[in-house]
Amino acid sequence: MKRALLLLLLACVLSGAAFAQTVAKKKQPLPYEYGRVVIHNFSEKAGLAPVVFDHWLHRAKFTCRLCHVDIGFSMKAGATGIKASDNMNGYYCGACHNGKMISDTKKVFESCGKLMISQDWANCFRCHSLGKKVKPEYDFNHFTKNFPKGRFGNGVDWEKAKKDRLIRPVDFLEGISIQRKSISEQKDFGQGAKVEGRPDVVFGYTMETRQAFRGAGMEGRPDVIFSHEKHIVWNGCELCHPKIFKDVKKGASKYTMVDIFEGKSCGVCHTTVAFPLLDCQRCHIKPIQ
Amino acid sequence: MKTPRIIRIILALGAFAGFGTSSDWNPGIFRVGLAHAQEDWRKEFDDVCSKIQDAMVFTPDELRDFVGRCDKLKPQIEKLDESQKKVYLKRLQMCRDLYFFVLGSREKKQ
Repeated sequence: MKRALLLLLLACVLSGAAFAQTVAKKKQPLPYEYGRVVIHNFSEKAGLAPVVFDHWLHRAKFTCRLCHVDIGFSMKAGATGIKASDNMNGYYCGACHNGKMISDTKKVFESCGKLMISQDWANCFRCHSLGKKVKPEYDFNHFTKNFPKGRFGNGVDWEKAKKDRLIRPVDFLEGISIQRKSISEQKDFGQGAKVEGRPDVVFGYTMETRQAFRGAGMEGRPDVIFSHEKHIVWNGCELCHPKIFKDVKKGASKYTMVDIFEGKSCGVCHTTVAFPLLDCQRCHIKPIQ
Repeated sequence: MKTPRIIRIILALGAFAGFGTSSDWNPGIFRVGLAHAQEDWRKEFDDVCSKIQDAMVFTPDELRDFVGRCDKLKPQIEKLDESQKKVYLKRLQMCRDLYFFVLGSREKKQ
């Protein structure tokens, strides 16, 4: 009897621990933590804390395309393999954090500068800050206080903030970016005259799924309307095609919410940095007919 | 008597040029030559990849040409220093992949 009770107690403790772990995994990040990336490829070997990178500040100032295409940062955390020498040579973080670039009338501090190593460790800790009490130069609440509110993620509607010109993300970096025509100048893209993929693409449920919804007395969610126009402003073309979305032909790929929640297709950005998947109504917007 | 001297001068210049391109010791005029070679890859890279926003309006032959130009650039970028190589190989790959992707979609359609 005692043994049975003991086993029962053990089972309860183990399942409780497992439950706690699951809950911990599902914990939503705080608004200022959403999009945070910790980079720890080489830092600890060099005797420094891992780098903490906040997307919210950088996305307010630069487009995703500038950093993930022109500067070459990988879309997967830790996959870029940034070294201090890369930064010193003016690549990756060093492309902007060079002690020369001006942003918001301020000089952008130098990352991994050659002199810094021997003279100013305090500057290293501005990025190599995991587990350290470092006072950030920009306070999240102060920085975002006038921005339109979003329901999830950073609690900011970044798209509207851009539309309202509260933020003006830079898409060109001298010496790094290539001068090219703005997509907005290509009227044929918007009008769909020469282009097969129109700016708005509808991702619909299959007929069977829709019927199953109705059979269960539900309408189900509206179909998704995907706007190329909105995404191109931030991402350009090559950030998404073909690595994330490999098919051009409508309906060639099937997208499921399970895959998306696992970080595939839309989930590459919308589980990490862009507004999260909990915000259903921002994508499922086509009126049900 | 004059001819061998000229030949000697030409040979000396040739050796000087060879030295210039194969070692770290780089006399001014050859450094300029090398710098030009380095700038050439960047010029070609900028030219090829500046048009990706227009990829959807190019003909299959034009797209094939862009893919070919990207492939030709790759060995030149592989010779760059580690940081540059890492960044530009990735950028070149993204650029090539997009042209190839659009080309593939065109060919499927035909």
